[in-house]
Amino acid sequence: MPATSSFPKYSRRRLPNALTRAWVTLLALSVASALLTVLPIPSTLLGGGILILALAKCRIILARYLDLAASPGWLRGFTMVMTGFALIIFALYLI
Amino acid sequence: MTEASLIDELPGELLMWVLIISELLVFGAGLIAFMGVRLTDPAGFAEAQSHLYRTGAALNTAVLVTSGYLAAQALRWRRIARRGAARLALIAAAALGVVFLIIKGAEYAGKAAQGITYETHPFFLFYYLLTGFHAAHVLAGVGILLLVAWRDDPRNIEAGAQFWHMVDLVWIMLFPVIYLLG
Repeated sequence: MPATSSFPKYSRRRLPNALTRAWVTLLALSVASALLTVLPIPSTLLGGGILILALAKCRIILARYLDLAASPGWLRGFTMVMTGFALIIFALYLI
Repeated sequence: MTEASLIDELPGELLMWVLIISELLVFGAGLIAFMGVRLTDPAGFAEAQSHLYRTGAALNTAVLVTSGYLAAQALRWRRIARRGAARLALIAAAALGVVFLIIKGAEYAGKAAQGITYETHPFFLFYYLLTGFHAAHVLAGVGILLLVAWRDDPRNIEAGAQFWHMVDLVWIMLFPVIYLLG
């Protein structure tokens, strides 16, 4: 028996689900990254901004695409490791 | 909370997560090595990076996140017994993977036409290694998506989609480091 067979059809057709919102946000963040590269801003800000946007995209993929939103401990752990990675990259970028 | 229950919280197969973490560590180490070697010649790396096709790579980001969305939707649809929609979404996700490879191939062809090889500069050695290894994963992912579209048990689709999201995740970190941080 389908899990949502008792739900009215309109409930899943009219409201964008979390997955669709995640996809739209990912596209918006990608556009923001592209816009950032054409702005006349210092390279430190540019590098930091690009990495922060990339981290945000990673977190969305982990939470929504890979469904870690249902496992907050794992999502937190992955986010911490990815943030540590981005900080190493940023530090190497600044040297 | 016990360690066993924490592991049980992971969606899907544990071995897929071992693979995802392993791949992230491999690519992460490669990117850190890239930034480390950049310190020896920042100007040369910036100059080499200016030869990259950034627009195509940015477009490929949109292609991959859209493909990932379709793969994730496929699992959702399969779980609510919308089998046909799930299969179509998987095939569309695989087709977008092919689009990614075509754009990547055009980028490599452009470099070849300019006489740029992995020997031109250390930047391009890392560029070809990291993007080439990623492209190999995309190729494998396309095959896996088509396989799970055919053998469409929800557990198969979940494993295939997880592999695809890992490919997506790697590109999201690879793109800014290789293409943008000059």
